Amino acid sequence: MASQLKTLYEELQRAFYAQPSSDLKKCAAVLTQLKIGLIQAGLLLPQGNVNLGDLVVARDILEIGAFSSIRSQDVPSFDRYFSQLQTFYIDYSSSLPPSKREYPIRGLNLVRLLTQNRIADFHTTLENLPADVIAENPFIRHPVNLERWLMEGSYSKVWNAREEAPAEEYKFFVDSLMGTIRNEIASCEEAAYESLPLKDAATLLFFTNQSDLLKYAQNRGWEVNLTASTITFAKKGEEKMEIPKQRLIAASLAYARELEQIV
Amino acid sequence: MTDVEMKPADKANDEKKKEDDKTTLPPPPTPVEEIKSNTTLIERAVSTLEPRFTNRVLRTLTALRKRVDDTVLRTAIEELYGKGDRPVKKTLLSWLPTGPITTDHSMEVDLSDKSDAPEPVPEAEIYIRLLMLHHLLKEEDTQSKALELAHETVEKMQALNRRSMDAIAAKIWFAVDRAYDLAGELADARPLFLAAQRTASLRHDDEAQAALINCLLRSYIQYNLYDQADKLVSKTTFPVSASNAQYARYHFYLGRIRAVQLNYTEAHTNLQQAIRRAPAAKVAPGFYQAVHKYFVVVELLMGDIPDRSLFRHVVLEKALIAYFDIVKAVRTGSLSQFQTTLSKHADQFEEDNTYTLIVRLRQNVIKTGIRRLSLSYSRISLRDICVKLHLDSEEDAEYIVGKAIRDGVIEGRIVHEKGWMECGTQKSGYGPEVSEVFGRRIAFCLDLHNQSVKAMRYPLNAHRKELAAAEGAREREKELAKEIQDGDLDDEDLGGGDF
Repeated sequence: MASQLKTLYEELQRAFYAQPSSDLKKCAAVLTQLKIGLIQAGLLLPQGNVNLGDLVVARDILEIGAFSSIRSQDVPSFDRYFSQLQTFYIDYSSSLPPSKREYPIRGLNLVRLLTQNRIADFHTTLENLPADVIAENPFIRHPVNLERWLMEGSYSKVWNAREEAPAEEYKFFVDSLMGTIRNEIASCEEAAYESLPLKDAATLLFFTNQSDLLKYAQNRGWEVNLTASTITFAKKGEEKMEIPKQRLIAASLAYARELEQIV
Repeated sequence: MTDVEMKPADKANDEKKKEDDKTTLPPPPTPVEEIKSNTTLIERAVSTLEPRFTNRVLRTLTALRKRVDDTVLRTAIEELYGKGDRPVKKTLLSWLPTGPITTDHSMEVDLSDKSDAPEPVPEAEIYIRLLMLHHLLKEEDTQSKALELAHETVEKMQALNRRSMDAIAAKIWFAVDRAYDLAGELADARPLFLAAQRTASLRHDDEAQAALINCLLRSYIQYNLYDQADKLVSKTTFPVSASNAQYARYHFYLGRIRAVQLNYTEAHTNLQQAIRRAPAAKVAPGFYQAVHKYFVVVELLMGDIPDRSLFRHVVLEKALIAYFDIVKAVRTGSLSQFQTTLSKHADQFEEDNTYTLIVRLRQNVIKTGIRRLSLSYSRISLRDICVKLHLDSEEDAEYIVGKAIRDGVIEGRIVHEKGWMECGTQKSGYGPEVSEVFGRRIAFCLDLHNQSVKAMRYPLNAHRKELAAAEGAREREKELAKEIQDGDLDDEDLGGGDF
């Protein structure tokens, strides 16, 4: 590995592990140079036989990149780092020593997919992992449980689990995840209740003060009765059943044509 | 339509017929004779450019490969390539252990005749190699040898690049895939397959393309790379003229991909297609069982309960026991029963790769439970729901019921102040959806009719005779008309005539 790359790598490690918090700006700057260096050394997307030590360093660089992009709330950048890391995690899994950051990063990716409501991708990604890891590994189990609760509708469990995140970085996703479940709950309430007392609505939606709730209610177009302190949900009127004329005509014509061919 | 479309029905029948023939007819053709007649057929296929003959040869492959051994192959090669020391013969023989050649008299005669006969076409050589591959794959200690042979054969095939070889080539690819699989190096074969797939699609080599796409999908799914498999599916078009066996496989893989992606409707259609296209249950029980395992799970995930009769099927009964237990748990909506069944059969589900799918059923169990409650009670407290469904807290129950109402699982509403759920009446099941379903079924029947018309085969030039007859009739009519016009036809003729 070129000496220039080595010094940059050391610089990145210094910036990332700096106390009390890592120097994210510095990280980003160094990472850009490092990525160019990695491409020149043919390590960003390694092919064929490459020195294993170099691969470990390259993986480490990309992992730091993934973490620092989460810390600076840059999800698309995390996405890119994750797809680059896939090569190391899947194709070189047998030859490289396992990384202790692998499962945290995979778990983060799963949480990210959950917050973006990409459930199909979530499951496809999950299939890559062996069953015992899904059941045992805390970093993976967390998003898996979240998904299960979300699908069942046990929203309070999701809410309570937000403090149990296995790694610091998971908390970056908590806010958007809570936004997602709040919207889910709201749409359920619209369907399931006619009206709700303000206080109960606030508990159900996990609001701690009333003004937040009122603002939220306004956004969703709920009727708030302050004197009786209740929320009334606009009932969607019985959907009118219309006969789909166009479609029926088209279908009948198609049948006629087909029958003509047969007879 | 090509012959390929007809293959499945024929295949099963042929095989059955063959089997029957073997048992009833006194002298069954020896494998060597069969190989020889097959190579003749292949030669005819090459010289007449008629792929039908090759397909006929390949149809016998399954039955034939079970009866092939070292001696048979050796004798067949000796007989086909004559006495001379040809390079092709030498290389072919080098793959087989040396041993005594069965000598019978007819062969001696053959040899003396054929010593200067022309060398068989390369297609025949590849066919022999195919048989050898399958033979080598049978024994565990010759498998590494099979891999080497596979490599050499593929190189040879690509160097020859003959269109008349396509059908055999497709079978070779399948054998190559199998060789890699048994060697446990399926992932290493991917670059080779991808390159070959590109070439095949450029050359419109449909058979090989179908086989290769399936090999690739298999290799991706084996390693749980559903993402890549999905991308492969979206980037390639599966050749329409592919054989039914390949289609069945393709649908099976597609169904699995879609199931993982939570697209259950499409998964269901694909798996159903796979079942319909698959060879009869008794002929290929392994495939039949594997597809049904997924089919049952996907049907459950869609909220349907599979037919009871399915689990009584002779081939399926044993294989599906675990799945039957799961179905029972889902049907009763009992979460605890579901959990115990799941842990009891966990090993089998993991072996079948259905574990993650079955875990997803948890929510279906809850939904079924709620639906049952909503049907039997007009009003039930959240506390009771919680107890009956083994939920953790009343709070959870409220959210879960709310979600069920929103998702349209049940009709009803929650009265929060009183802490109960009021169940509404079920909607009557008659609406525009019914006509939609009806329309879909009609479309299916019409499509089936059209496809079967398309798949019919007519003997060449058979219509000529009819045409000639029709022509003759028209001619006579014309003459008659002319005669009438000319007034040559008088009353006498009419009275006594044949008309």
